[in-house]
Amino acid sequence: MFKKIIEERIYSLLVLLMLVCVIASLVFPATFPTFENFSQILLNLSIDTIVAVGMMLLLISGAFDLSVGSVVAFSGCLTALLMHSFNMPVPLAILTGIAGSVLIGLINGWLIAYKDINPMIQTLAMMGIVRGAALMLSGSGVQNLPYWFNAIGQSKLMGIQMPIWFMLITVIVFTFLLNKTILFRRYYYIGGNEKAADLSGIRVKRMKMLGFVLTAMLAGIAGILLSSRLGAALPTMGRGLELRVITAVILGGASLSGGYGKIPGALLGALFMGIIANIMVISRVSGYWQEIILGFILIGTLWLDKALQKKYSSNS
Amino acid sequence: MAHLSLKNICKSFPGVKALDAVELTVLPGEIHALCGENGAGKSTLMNVLAGNLQPDDGTININGQQQIIDTPQTAFSLGISIVYQHLSLVDNLNVAENIFANQQPKNKFGVIQFDKLYQQTTSLLQQLNLSEINPRTLVSKLSPAQKQMVEIAKALSKKPSIFILDEPTASLTEKETTSLFSILQKLKSEGVAIIYISHRLEEIFLLAGRISILKDGKYQGTFLQKDITKHELIKRMVGRELVTLKAASHLQAGLLLSVKKLTAKRFNNISFQLHCGEILGLAGLAGAGRTEIVRAIFGADDFASGEIILKNEKLHISHPAESISKGMAFVPEERKSLGLFPEMPILDNIISGKLSNALVGRWYNRDKVKQLALTSKNKLNIVTPGVQQKVNNLSGGNQQKVVLAKWLLTNPDVLIIDEPTVGIDVGAKFEIYEILKSLAAAGKGIIIVSSDLPELLGICDRILVIKKGMLAGELLHSEATEEKIMALASN
Repeated sequence: MFKKIIEERIYSLLVLLMLVCVIASLVFPATFPTFENFSQILLNLSIDTIVAVGMMLLLISGAFDLSVGSVVAFSGCLTALLMHSFNMPVPLAILTGIAGSVLIGLINGWLIAYKDINPMIQTLAMMGIVRGAALMLSGSGVQNLPYWFNAIGQSKLMGIQMPIWFMLITVIVFTFLLNKTILFRRYYYIGGNEKAADLSGIRVKRMKMLGFVLTAMLAGIAGILLSSRLGAALPTMGRGLELRVITAVILGGASLSGGYGKIPGALLGALFMGIIANIMVISRVSGYWQEIILGFILIGTLWLDKALQKKYSSNS
Repeated sequence: MAHLSLKNICKSFPGVKALDAVELTVLPGEIHALCGENGAGKSTLMNVLAGNLQPDDGTININGQQQIIDTPQTAFSLGISIVYQHLSLVDNLNVAENIFANQQPKNKFGVIQFDKLYQQTTSLLQQLNLSEINPRTLVSKLSPAQKQMVEIAKALSKKPSIFILDEPTASLTEKETTSLFSILQKLKSEGVAIIYISHRLEEIFLLAGRISILKDGKYQGTFLQKDITKHELIKRMVGRELVTLKAASHLQAGLLLSVKKLTAKRFNNISFQLHCGEILGLAGLAGAGRTEIVRAIFGADDFASGEIILKNEKLHISHPAESISKGMAFVPEERKSLGLFPEMPILDNIISGKLSNALVGRWYNRDKVKQLALTSKNKLNIVTPGVQQKVNNLSGGNQQKVVLAKWLLTNPDVLIIDEPTVGIDVGAKFEIYEILKSLAAAGKGIIIVSSDLPELLGICDRILVIKKGMLAGELLHSEATEEKIMALASN
């Protein structure tokens, strides 16, 4: 039992999360353990988590994407611009926004998988290109979006904000896909040993490209959802999101070398970061310190994890 | 000169006693063979000597002085140098920089003197009979055999007084093996203490003065080479008698695979046929192009021209996915880097050749995977506490059985297997031969690439000899001998 908790990051993170929540509830009984507070925490991390699901998929396959933050801004701005300046119907504008994101993922994936360009360099370059495109499209931002568009991100279902529902659906759908379909199981093999995967009949290049496409698509959806929630599309949306998301996914059990990770880990990682940030706000820690503390928590968690695994691993 | 003596060395890992009161005494000017099956504790013992592991109990004496080898640096300063089974070379650096890694000749400002570095490398390579290797060549450009020789050169550059070799000849050809043996004899005459680990008993009887045997981490005794027979040695290593291979052939009439004028960069105009139930061997020196030929047939590499006809159907294969679906399977030579997903559990490895076997209805089912893996484990006698174990934790023989199990689940007609028993202990070796034989009996065609001639002679119905990418000859089981194969393979 104890060994299982140590070995599976999802369980150890869950235990840690519960511990943190119990302590925070005892220290801040009036402000922390309330429905409103948790609903706010979840709302704040819903956009990050949707992107984190895609990032988890990529990290399982041994790659990552730094351009997701820019794609969030790009898809939001593109969709907003189409509705605002070209009077495009809401559904069509959303589809175009998602299609634009998919195209970015397709370019990333094709160059990385088929032209052997390093994922870090490729997505770093794309991060700049796409951010520039978002600025060009929206200038200082697009406001006055159609009512129905804003309703997507601002309405509630059963008392819970829509972005949270979208986040939960994304997590559930991708958890199912990764556990239950052989198409997605292949990512574990690709991350485990790319060459062996190829010799086992897995079309590694195609699968890699698909990974980047799906990640960009999820980032695109997140961007549209974010501008709907804000009621405006800003070219600065999603700035720094890529590193936050990678941090959450690593906390959630992924490894930069690939082969490890589960989709719920992306949610738990983001939740952990969200709750820590929330506690710091409640306890009035200054904004500067928050970033420093989050950084230390990431390093500390990974360090502890390695130490425990070494101690409890059954082999030499 | 060094006199090494180990007493009562014990080392436990959680759940397993890897070394249990092991004794070993190696004298200066002696080649001392260390024998044992995979998992017997040889590598653990070597890691203790290398400073990578600390023994729980026991003493290490060098020249009568008790030593604690706590780091690899300590081992180095004590004159211990090890040629590891797994290469420790950096692909992106050249031969000279690899050989003198971390001990490059420097001037008084600490700047590397490259002219000196290349001079020293050249003379070292000459001593090793390797003048065809340019010190400036990148290691990634070398053949596996050349890499192994560079690894040996690297260990020798430290001028060791205790020299340890772990399976050095696994990837070497006859030529390099011969020059390695003459170097070892020379070191021996210079008074170096040599510990030689190998599964190849012929080599042990050729080289060693004394032989120490380990079994399941326990010391089984040290014998003078002339006092022990091969038969007895195996018996002490394995703890049971091994039956030699029966030459029963399962060759049937039907044509399975026909390769016509296959040509690519590394081979030229290769044509042959494979019949149902036939075991066909591909012999040749390392680098002759055997691996390249079978990779092209499997669709892992492209070829320039030629035809591959499987069961009367001409194949147009651009990816292994297609050849697998047509009924081919390929077990690559480099088990860890190409054949396995080392960090994944056994069950995931076993299902990896055909993931659709895991489906129940439309969905992947973990319980079914477990069932299939358990069946394979029992059928192929894979020794492991459970199928959830990482495949990395298994011995070489059991890892190879996992790879075989994976391909058996795809139910192939043609099984291509490259160096089936490299780095595998004697017991598992024979089990793998039995598996191959039973596949042939079931009418499958098997192509074996191997540098182990007794292996080819033992199980093949027919042997093709490849020389410099060309088909140099064909020998039937009845007429093949080691001498004939070597004559065709060299000049």
